[in-house]
Amino acid sequence: MIKVDKKEIYRYLGYRRNIPDAEVCRMVDSCLEQLQREVTPRYIFRKYPVESVYTVPGAFAEEEDPLLYSSPEGGTERSGQRKRGARPGRRTEAELPMLRIAGMEIRSRSLSRNLRGCENVYLMAATLGIGPDRLIARASVTHMSRAVTLQAAAAAMIESWCDEVNQKIIREASEQGFYCRPRFSPGYGDFPLEYQQDFAQILRMQKEIGVSLTESFLMIPTKSVTAVIGITGDRQDCVLHGCEVCEQAPHCAFSRNRLETDGE
Amino acid sequence: MANGIRKPFLERLGKEWLFFDGGTGTILQEKGLKGGELPERWNLTRPEDIIDLHCGYLQAGCDIFNTNTFGANALKFPGPAVTVEKAGVSAEKEGTTGIDANMAGGAQEHGELRQIVEAAVALAKEARRRSRREDAYIALDIGPTGRLLEPLGDLPFEKAVEIFGEVVRIGAAAGADLVLIETMSDSYESKAAVLAAKENCNLPVLITNVYDSSGKLLTGGTVDSTVAMLEGLRVDGLGVNCGMGPEQMIPIVKRMTEVASVPILVNPNAGLPRSEKGRTVYDVDPDSFADWMKKIAGMGVQAVGGCCGTTPEHIRKTVQAVRGCAGAEEKSCADADKKTCTAADEKTGAEAEGIREGTMASKGVPFVPNTKKKLTVVSSFSRAVEIGRKPVIIGERINPTGKKKFKEALRENNIEYILTEGLNQEDSGAHILDVNVGLPEIDEPQMMATVVSRLQSILPLPLQIDTSDPIAMERGMRLYNGKPMVNSVNGKKESMEAVFPLVRKYGGVVVGLVLDEDGIPETADGRIAVAKKIYEAADRYGIPREDIVIDGLAMTISSDTKSALTTLETLRRVRDELHGHTILGVSNISFGLPQRSIINAHFLTMAMQMGLSCAIMNPGNEDMMCAYRAFLALSDLDPQCMGYIGAYANAQRTTVTAAAKTGAGVAAAGSADAAGSGGFKASAAEKAGEGMTGGSSHQPSAGMSLGDSIRRGMAGSAADAARALLEAGTPALSLINEELIPALDFVGKGFEKGTIFLPQLLMSAEAAKAAFEVVKETMQDEKQETKGRIILATVKGDIHDIGKNIVKVMLENYSFEILDLGKDVAPETIVETAISENISLVGLSALMTTTVVSMEETIRLLREQKPDTKVVVGGAVMTQEYADSIGADCYAPDAMATVHFAEEVFAS
Repeated sequence: MIKVDKKEIYRYLGYRRNIPDAEVCRMVDSCLEQLQREVTPRYIFRKYPVESVYTVPGAFAEEEDPLLYSSPEGGTERSGQRKRGARPGRRTEAELPMLRIAGMEIRSRSLSRNLRGCENVYLMAATLGIGPDRLIARASVTHMSRAVTLQAAAAAMIESWCDEVNQKIIREASEQGFYCRPRFSPGYGDFPLEYQQDFAQILRMQKEIGVSLTESFLMIPTKSVTAVIGITGDRQDCVLHGCEVCEQAPHCAFSRNRLETDGE
Repeated sequence: MANGIRKPFLERLGKEWLFFDGGTGTILQEKGLKGGELPERWNLTRPEDIIDLHCGYLQAGCDIFNTNTFGANALKFPGPAVTVEKAGVSAEKEGTTGIDANMAGGAQEHGELRQIVEAAVALAKEARRRSRREDAYIALDIGPTGRLLEPLGDLPFEKAVEIFGEVVRIGAAAGADLVLIETMSDSYESKAAVLAAKENCNLPVLITNVYDSSGKLLTGGTVDSTVAMLEGLRVDGLGVNCGMGPEQMIPIVKRMTEVASVPILVNPNAGLPRSEKGRTVYDVDPDSFADWMKKIAGMGVQAVGGCCGTTPEHIRKTVQAVRGCAGAEEKSCADADKKTCTAADEKTGAEAEGIREGTMASKGVPFVPNTKKKLTVVSSFSRAVEIGRKPVIIGERINPTGKKKFKEALRENNIEYILTEGLNQEDSGAHILDVNVGLPEIDEPQMMATVVSRLQSILPLPLQIDTSDPIAMERGMRLYNGKPMVNSVNGKKESMEAVFPLVRKYGGVVVGLVLDEDGIPETADGRIAVAKKIYEAADRYGIPREDIVIDGLAMTISSDTKSALTTLETLRRVRDELHGHTILGVSNISFGLPQRSIINAHFLTMAMQMGLSCAIMNPGNEDMMCAYRAFLALSDLDPQCMGYIGAYANAQRTTVTAAAKTGAGVAAAGSADAAGSGGFKASAAEKAGEGMTGGSSHQPSAGMSLGDSIRRGMAGSAADAARALLEAGTPALSLINEELIPALDFVGKGFEKGTIFLPQLLMSAEAAKAAFEVVKETMQDEKQETKGRIILATVKGDIHDIGKNIVKVMLENYSFEILDLGKDVAPETIVETAISENISLVGLSALMTTTVVSMEETIRLLREQKPDTKVVVGGAVMTQEYADSIGADCYAPDAMATVHFAEEVFAS
């Protein structure tokens, strides 16, 4: 059974900080119960070395571009973060280091920042299985209110499942004396979604956990997540996940940071 | 048997031990295969390594070895394609209506793929020659496409058949001895692959699926449902591979030996995978593997081998352990000419010695052929329903006969209405659903394809394809994800010639009506004679008796009072004399009489007493369901009476009926158990009450006003309130304008202000819809007014349709008619529909940044070909800026905004 934070479900349903009325709370409960019966959670992760290759010599000096971190609880505190304004200006693509992971070659500002100082990464993929997709399709025929609630509950559930898988990785890494960076998925920041294809091949996702891709690189079952988790010998605050590391956060309707900026 | 003579494969499969080879991936990785590299390319770039791989297994003593073509398909090796003449064997061979014949002649072929597959077979032949194992069989290895099929995924079923077909054609022409489809984790893709193999070559077809530790395929299939479907497709052998080690496979193998009749094949991994330094490793060593395989062999399987992590050594030890002494000597490759083998093969001489020595001491496992189980089973993607153990209920409601609203839904392509009929019947306790969508003025084959496809994506119940049109029948059977029931064939030559080839090809349990060229026999004698004729004809097509259920023909007693007796006697004799199964359209018995359900319920009891196996009926009919449950309880078919108690413990008959009424039209959350425990209307309504919209929604309205019911999102009481108002004489129009619309507006405004949230908005919309339905019933004959017709679609490449569906519900509430084109819709389809239906507003949804491109393309195409059509866009990644930049007329941040824009567009 996957533990799910109901507040996350309410947030996905657009309630922000509000608690829904009893009727909706009951529906959330019953959707969760139904999902727990129908999900088939699976995961896979593997460790790979990561190489950072600079194609323009001297670019990307050491003192610049630190990682943004927030509180370990994934809360809304910003005390641990540097101000956005303090960041140096954008680089051209050629100045970015090329990251090489398990045969992938990735140029991504945000991923490079996330993985700074890491010599190894875990690639992970997790899924709830096809059950939620069927339930949502079914509810969509007769009860859209239930369909959206299932959708929100399943979204919160896959996040929780990823946290559980991430914890396994943290444990494995710490046994070897390493610390994990926040997990980072294709589609976050400027890490292109197209890399799903490489993930699928490297982790043999279809065979191992039943996750396949559409022509446009979307994962099916839809409640599936892939991510890179950097590991380093330096002690770092570890954030499981969060809007804090995503550059899309300011534009995202569901961002946690949005809680503070209501009415903007 | 000397090396060099190769018997036809089917003369050996299932008659003696046969051994498969082992893993490929792990061995190629050791030879230097990189993580993301496609192993099939090595057929061209590193042929000696592939020959080496095969030689290892051949010298270990396997009889069947796989070409290096697991991932060789046009999706992974797209290259440039040419259209070639297809050597279609199937249309003539199978003698069916020729759907695949239409596709012959225009098949695509990919150059690089051809090279890779041809090379793969050539390398296998070379390995066979070098190893002096000319007795071994080359299996054309076919793995999954890597994509999920529609409608949950985006790969069309026929496209999958085409992809597999291409590989089969090339491999068969190159000289493979059989086709082995393996590592399939989805039943639907398995079906596509088997059909492709059967339609493109005459080789034996074997298939092994991947099950997980819960005994299911990744997409939910059980051993029972998968075996039923595959045996229906007439595979020559089936089984399990990959996913787990031999030990974990035992429960799955056990179940297979209980339900499968064809030879069973077992190819486990060398244990459960473990990750070590970025590589997958397997822990079961050759000796323990062989021990386990010996145990599995003793369970009654007919062929064994290995999968991931297994090596020639695993296979050698397994052959040794299972075959024992005599067999191993025959298989020995000690006399293989080492000079013709590569260096790597040198050591195998010593290994072969080992086989001899080892097997001298080993006793081996006696070979036992598989037995015919003679079970009558239909299946869906996830569920098998056995016919004959106890009566099953086949829901009859998906059928336009005598149903005005259903006919309307068919004409208007209102698939949701049909799906809702299916969901309701599941909740009421149906085990199988009859699907009849025949109407003279519609394209029945197309409708059958759509309805079967949609139903099987949301419902776990097996379907009964019900049509008199052989084309529609074939479309339904072909696209069906499982082994269907087929309704029907009869004793007429013409009927049998049309239907039996389809059942032979696609599998199915077919309903045999006891009538023929001479009409319906009046006596049981006559009907039994026709039944015998049907069994005999089926046999000539290779369709076993257990795949026939005889319809004894229920005809109304109002025109012939003896007719029920004749029908009952027919049932009894089919059971006692022919040892067959029976089916009836039960309610025909009372046609023309008052209070039909009284007669129907009692007739049902009498028929079940005479051995009726399947009742085609309305599971929403309480009297008949009571009779059914009581019969099961009284016949020791309901363990501890749990089904009966579950249905009636909390309900008195009078309140039951009332609850059933309010619960009507509500689909409950939980799926009714096929075992017959779930599904009583009252319990369905209770479930719905808890699960759907809160406990109070289906309680009697207790005087709550229509407006309040809608504002509070209570569908049941909204319908009751609307009914009460109409009965009190309120005109329909003022009910809508003075109660319904203001309540909806109130909720809509609250949503926009942020005081009411999405689930409540939709619950209110559903309550309003329930009230509308009541109003519509009273206005049956008047033409419904709509404010305008709108196309909604999720754009090409995007499979997230929840946002689009929300908008649809809201627009319908405000009296707009929606043409819902679904998800992953090509720009051309949207534009063509906009033109042909003369649509002035199109709503497009896209969730991902990557699919906004198709949104832009759709708008561009619309501007070009239908410039007067307005476009409103929405979706998680959309912003006003983004919408402007792709040329949309309106950006709708939420469903209400779309409603406002639609009102604006249609006001002008």
